[in-house]
Amino acid sequence: MLKLIQTEFWKLRRKSLFWLMLLTALLMPFFAVIYFRSFGKTDLDPLLFYKWSAFGYTVFMILPFILGIVCTILMHEENQAHVLKQLWIIPIPKTACFFSKFFIVLMYSFCFMLITAAASVLFGIASGCAPFQWESILFLLKKCLEIAVLSACSILPILAAAVSQKGYVLPVCIILLYIFFGFFILPVNLYVHPIASLSAILAREGKIPGLTLTQTISVPWALLCIGIWGTASVFFATISLKRKG
Amino acid sequence: MKIFLWAECQKLRRLSLLLLTIFAVCGIAFMVFIGGKSTDYGPPYLEEAGWYMTMTQPWATLLVLPAVIALLGSYMICREAEDDTLKSLLLVPVSETRLTAAKMLLTFVFSILLYLLLFAITFLGEAILHIHALSTNMVLHFLKSYFLEGICVFLAVSPIIALVAYWKKSYWLALVLAEIYSFAGLFTSMSNTLRTFYPVSAALGIAGYYETTGLARIQSSLVLLACGGISVLILRKLKHGRDE
Repeated sequence: MLKLIQTEFWKLRRKSLFWLMLLTALLMPFFAVIYFRSFGKTDLDPLLFYKWSAFGYTVFMILPFILGIVCTILMHEENQAHVLKQLWIIPIPKTACFFSKFFIVLMYSFCFMLITAAASVLFGIASGCAPFQWESILFLLKKCLEIAVLSACSILPILAAAVSQKGYVLPVCIILLYIFFGFFILPVNLYVHPIASLSAILAREGKIPGLTLTQTISVPWALLCIGIWGTASVFFATISLKRKG
Repeated sequence: MKIFLWAECQKLRRLSLLLLTIFAVCGIAFMVFIGGKSTDYGPPYLEEAGWYMTMTQPWATLLVLPAVIALLGSYMICREAEDDTLKSLLLVPVSETRLTAAKMLLTFVFSILLYLLLFAITFLGEAILHIHALSTNMVLHFLKSYFLEGICVFLAVSPIIALVAYWKKSYWLALVLAEIYSFAGLFTSMSNTLRTFYPVSAALGIAGYYETTGLARIQSSLVLLACGGISVLILRKLKHGRDE
């Protein structure tokens, strides 16, 4: 398994777009500065600034979209270069192959959220929107790591869809609809979609200003939702890989 | 040009992406419908006549359809190089610029059709929910709005599609760029000036989603025409690159 993960990292060196996409982590901190500056608001509660820069659209839109694209790129390029066939000849366990890809997605998610956290602090201080506060920074860091793990788990259905397809078109369409569905189901039911459940976990302490959910927050239900989707995805991906093999 | 369009239409029949984009449009309409049932902030939004048609348009434009249209356009262009059919086409010989122009034209038509399909679905939803509250003027207003949105969104994303044609095989980048580009429209919509000049929010302004002045509409139209002009310039450069 470790060798597989190491090989996956070696393969990444040739994928420039893969690394370029990390720049999108700067997007929301940048927009948060523009948003607060356009209203002439400075010296805000740092958590309010971080809500915009790291806990808002980054969680519901940007990170899931980028992770979805990462999943699709990882699988599409394997299919295109017929690498999978050679891997089955070695042979390599199909679930190990799937989890090695998932590990890359998880690492990518960590990198993305760490960049977002760093950019949020730097942009906040540089623009004068969010003053430096150790307590808020540590809270931001803790939440970012939480988001990284949960987002990677929430994106498992997309990885499974990418595994089951030879092309990239269906997974890409599914990414867009999956994110859109997560966004719209949020006010209706928190425990149907992993991204909606993620926001319930995120808002559980009620410390993030502006992130108030009208439904009762139940962390076990949210975890169960992410768990069910994740397990179903792993099961589906394993069957798809077996069929391909 | 006719033969190029005919050939592209023939190719489209085999394209699974076409069905997937239709599926995406139906998916958007379904999800906004689900979102409209929320009772957290009072009575369900769907109870208000026109809410469904009003809200589906901006959300589809800001989050999904520009990326889908850019993907469709870039896929149609990139597949020739990807499937290795470009060499055969150049041997015929076929003008690459005309070929790309035909693909762009089809994407343009498809962009309008996607928005009209979205209109048809949302109108159907509104008609089922409250047919008596709908007036002819209201329906015609939305039809015009969706139609204009289809045209404007194509113009807004056309530089991205043209850039993909120029770079070749960079359809991933096209998708990421188009999504970020449309997503940024959420923020530019908050400022009156940016709303007028940023292509994605300008499209919403021209379509009538925002209340804008005549001057702002002219400025937005110029911005979108400039987007179209930029894509033409990129496509011309593509030809010159080949000639050299």
